[in-house]
Amino acid sequence: MRAPRMHGLLMRCYPAPWRERYGSEFLALLEERPPGLRQALDILSAALDARIHPQLRPGPVLAAGPAIAPEIPSLSVPLRSYGVVPSPPAGAMSRRIFMRRMLGAGAALLSVEFLGGTLAFLWPQFRSGLGAKFRLGRLADIVVQQPSFANGWPYAFTPARAFLVNVPAAKELALGHDASIPDPTADQLLALWRRCPHLGCQVPQLCDSLKRYTCLCHGSTYNILGEKLKEGPAERGMDRFPVSIDEDGVVVIDTAVIVAGAANLGPEHLTFTDPFPYDIKCQ
Amino acid sequence: MSEERGAASELGRFAEPAMLVLVSLSDGPKHGYAIMTDVEAFAASSLGPGTLYAVLARLQAGGLIEPLESDDRRRPYRITAAGAAALSGQLAEMRRFLRIGRLRLRGASEGLDR
Repeated sequence: MRAPRMHGLLMRCYPAPWRERYGSEFLALLEERPPGLRQALDILSAALDARIHPQLRPGPVLAAGPAIAPEIPSLSVPLRSYGVVPSPPAGAMSRRIFMRRMLGAGAALLSVEFLGGTLAFLWPQFRSGLGAKFRLGRLADIVVQQPSFANGWPYAFTPARAFLVNVPAAKELALGHDASIPDPTADQLLALWRRCPHLGCQVPQLCDSLKRYTCLCHGSTYNILGEKLKEGPAERGMDRFPVSIDEDGVVVIDTAVIVAGAANLGPEHLTFTDPFPYDIKCQ
Repeated sequence: MSEERGAASELGRFAEPAMLVLVSLSDGPKHGYAIMTDVEAFAASSLGPGTLYAVLARLQAGGLIEPLESDDRRRPYRITAAGAAALSGQLAEMRRFLRIGRLRLRGASEGLDR
């Protein structure tokens, strides 16, 4: 290996600011005294030292002109100045500043994540969640999907968390008759919000024995049209969404409008009474 | 006295080379190569180039030496007043050490003669 090339390699072991300050005089020294193996090891160890102590790189301050005042200070003064470190050279970052900035950047990143997560959580989802208009499909499609809909069994439409009730067929079902009404009109359809008005549990499908809904949480019981019966703590019947059938024959539920269920005022206020006692619930 | 020891411990393994450099610069400014040859001439030991520049950086940071302008690539360094004072302090310490060592050695050799 040619000597200048080896000198360059040795120089590369030093950090860049050191090379800027000492590079040319150090190379001059190496050219005058080509280093042997021992000197090369010495240089490597010193380069490591220079990387460990970056604060020991004084700027290129040159003492030009007359010598400094020949005042000899007392012994203690220069000794105290031993090891006193000047501020780091321009452009270099001290360890403390670096740690502070990293800490600040980390905290900022965390805050942004929290803020973003909170916003995303709070952002209203009109397209898919509650508040949107849901197109359930044509009645014929619903009957194909769930044939018992024609017999009065509510059609559970999960995205809107609603039961679509075929009112005349449902009444027949609750009365114990067999009926098939596959094409009710829009005002014969009822969309019940499957959210118990007591504490918000999801109301399950009709029970087979009574054809009533009984909330699994606290036993609030509703008839097949969602009207509150005696059992359970709910104060009113299940809430409803407006239902319409558009020009294409598609059933549309508008979950932006919530019609509160009727208050529980006693058996004489019900619009529909099934043959079972007022005060029993599904088991 | 304790401050001198503190200074020496801050320089760590560079304390001895630092003293060699200060002594070398005491009779006038020198550049790196001149310091190395000078140290080899007056001391039994030699300075590696890496050690030399580590020491120069420390002494300059401590304000004990200062770099001078130069037309050449080789930059001379000059001892400062603070550097001279520090060196004389260290030499005084060594003188005391020397005296005690001699005294004790003399006592030991007298004991051997007996």
